[in-house]
Amino acid sequence: MYYLGLDIGSLSCDAVIIDGEGTILAWAVVPTGARNRRSLARVRAQALENAGLPADSVEATVSTGYGRDRVDGRLAAVTEITCHARGIRALLPQTRLLIDIGGQDSKVIRLGPDGRVAEFAMNDKCAAGTGRFLEAMSRALEVDLETLSDLDMGARSGLTLSSMCTVFAESEVISLLAEGVEISEIALGLNRAVAQRLRAMVRRVAPDVAGLPVSMSGGVAYNGGVVRALEAALGSAISIPEKPDIVGALGAALIARERSRQVR
Amino acid sequence: MMNTMREYFAGIVNSLEHKLEVDPVQTRTARRKYALETARLGQRLYSGTERVAWCGVAAPFDLLNALDISSCFVEFVGANLAGSGMVSTFLDRAESQGWAPDSCAYHRAVMGAALRGMMPEPDVLVATSAPCSAGVATLENLARHFGKDLFVLHVPQTDSPEAVALLAQQIKEMIRFVAQRTGTTVEPARLREAMLLSNQARELLVQVYHLANRVPSPVSSNDLRDLGIVLPLFFGTQAAVDIARGYRDELLRRVDTGERALPRERIRLMWIQNRIQFRTSIERTIAHEFGAVIVIDELNDVTWEPVDPDDPWEGLARRMSGMPLCAPAEQRIRHLRNLARSHRVDGVIHPCHWGCRQSLGARGLIQQGLGEIGVPMLDLAVDCIDTRAFSAGQVRTRMGAFLEMLAQRPSPWS
Repeated sequence: MYYLGLDIGSLSCDAVIIDGEGTILAWAVVPTGARNRRSLARVRAQALENAGLPADSVEATVSTGYGRDRVDGRLAAVTEITCHARGIRALLPQTRLLIDIGGQDSKVIRLGPDGRVAEFAMNDKCAAGTGRFLEAMSRALEVDLETLSDLDMGARSGLTLSSMCTVFAESEVISLLAEGVEISEIALGLNRAVAQRLRAMVRRVAPDVAGLPVSMSGGVAYNGGVVRALEAALGSAISIPEKPDIVGALGAALIARERSRQVR
Repeated sequence: MMNTMREYFAGIVNSLEHKLEVDPVQTRTARRKYALETARLGQRLYSGTERVAWCGVAAPFDLLNALDISSCFVEFVGANLAGSGMVSTFLDRAESQGWAPDSCAYHRAVMGAALRGMMPEPDVLVATSAPCSAGVATLENLARHFGKDLFVLHVPQTDSPEAVALLAQQIKEMIRFVAQRTGTTVEPARLREAMLLSNQARELLVQVYHLANRVPSPVSSNDLRDLGIVLPLFFGTQAAVDIARGYRDELLRRVDTGERALPRERIRLMWIQNRIQFRTSIERTIAHEFGAVIVIDELNDVTWEPVDPDDPWEGLARRMSGMPLCAPAEQRIRHLRNLARSHRVDGVIHPCHWGCRQSLGARGLIQQGLGEIGVPMLDLAVDCIDTRAFSAGQVRTRMGAFLEMLAQRPSPWS
C-alpha cells in the first residue's frame, strides 16, 4: 500500500509518497508556475518515477495547499495547518511550536502534547514576511535566494526597514543600495523584519515561548539568515528537518494513510 | 438613483410575497416573513413619502415606531448594499471623497450612498455613542450632508442607578426632539401599546432562543442570522411580534418532529458580532465538509427585562446599556461565556471586521476569556462589507484549519 501527499503551494508543488509503515519512499518538488494543473501532474509523475511505482499503486491521495481542491481523485483535501502539524510530528516529534513560512503565507502552529494542532495564527491580507517577500528582496538586491541566505554574515548592526509592505520594502532596498549602504546590513535588516513579524504571531499563540521546542517548515527554512534572525528574536533554537519544504506533503500522505485505514 | 433602491426593495417584497402565497407552510416560512418585513422597511425608507429617522444601532426603535417614523440604523444600508453585490461602487465614491479605506466599510458604504444620492433624506437623525464612535461620526456627517438635526444619546457603560437615570432622561429628551422635528406628538396610549408589543416580542424571543438551544441544533447556520440586531427595528409594532411568533412556532414544530439542521452534527459554533453581509459559501462549506453549524450568534439573546409600559424610560435605558456590544468588555465576555456554555459550542468565530475598533479592542480579551473555559476562538480577519477586500481562499483555509482542529479535540462539554 502506498500513499501520496500533494501540497500545491503558490510557489511550488510538492509530492511525497510513503508506504504502509509511513516511511518516505520518494518526494518531488516542482515550481507551481501559472498553470498549477500541469505542475500537479508533473510533480505526481516525478514522485512516482522516483519511487519506481506505477500510478495505480497509490491507495489514497490527500491534497493540501491553496490548490488542494483542484486535485482529482483525492481522498480528502486538508488545510496546510493540519498537514504541516502532522508532517512535523513524524519528523521532529518533540516540536511544540511550528513556524511555517511558505510562498504567500506564514503560519505559527502550537501543538499539543499529542502533536495535534492546539492553536494557530496566519498572516492576513499581506504577503510581507513570506517566500514572495524574500523573492522580491533578492530581486532588488540582484542575488539569488541561496546567496540571500548568507548575505547577512558579517553585518554589524543591520538596519530597521521602515516598511514591511513587499512593494514599498523593495523600493526602500533599492534606495538604500543607491545610498551605498552595505548589502549585508540590508540583508540583516530584512531578516530581522521578517523575524519581528513572525515573533508577534508567535506571541499570539504562545505568549510564553521559552522552553517550547520550536521547529520550522516551508521553503524559507532553507534561508539561514531568516532562521538566525528568528532564533535571536524568539530566544530559542529552531530545529529544521532535512527537507523542510516537503513537510506539508508528508503530512498529507500520512493523513491519506490514516484516513484510508479508517475508511477500510 | 432612489428609484433603483425602490425597485430593489419592491422586487424583494414581490418575490417573497409570491413565495409565501404559493407555499405558505413550507419549512422556511419564518425566515421569509422576517425577510419580507425587512424589505418592506426598506420600501418605506425609500418611499419618499414616509417620515424617516437615520439612527445608531442601539436606538430605541419602539419609541420611533410609536411616532410612526420609519427608522433604521445606518449600518443596515451598508449591509444591504453588500448583500445586493453593489457595494463597491459606493465604497469607491466615499473613498474618492476622502473617506479612509481603512475605516469601517459599513459606514463608508453609507457615506458613499449619501454622496451618490442613494440615501433617503431623513427628517431627523439619532446617534448612539455605543456600540461605536464611527457610527456617531457617520451620523454627524449625514446630518451635515442633509442639513438636518442630530440627537446623540450618550450611552453609559454601566447600569448604576445614576447612569440609568441619566440615559432615561436623554431618551425622554430624544423623543421630544424627534417629535418636534417631525411634527408628531407622543400619544401616551400609543407609547404604552408600543411597549406592550415590545414586551410580547421579547417574551417570544426568549422562547425562540430557548428552542434553538438544542443538541443537535434545530436551526441551520442561516435561520437566525442577524435576527438579534435587526428585529429591534420592528419593536413596538405587531410585525416584531409576528416575526418572533413565526420563529417560535416553526421551532416548536421542528423540535416536536425531531427536525435537525444537519443529518450529522459534529461541530457547534458561536459567531461573534455580525455576519459577513455579502454572499459567501462559508455556511454551506462548513456544513457539508465539516458537519459544523453556527448554533448561536452573540446578539441573538434577550439581555433585558420587560419594560414597564406605564413608565418605560428606565427599562429602555437598561436595555440599551445592557446590549452586549454597548457593555464593557468584562460584561461582554461574561455574556459570551454564558452563551458558549448554554449552547455547548465547540468553538467560536470572531470576524474581526476591518476598520472596526470595537472589534479590535476586545479581540484578545475575548479569546482569553473563552480559552479559560476551554472554548477556542478563531480570529477571522475579514471585511464583512467590502467585497473587494475578501479573499475567499484565505478565509476558507482559516476556517478549514480551525474546524479540523476542533474535529480532533474532545468537546469542552463532554
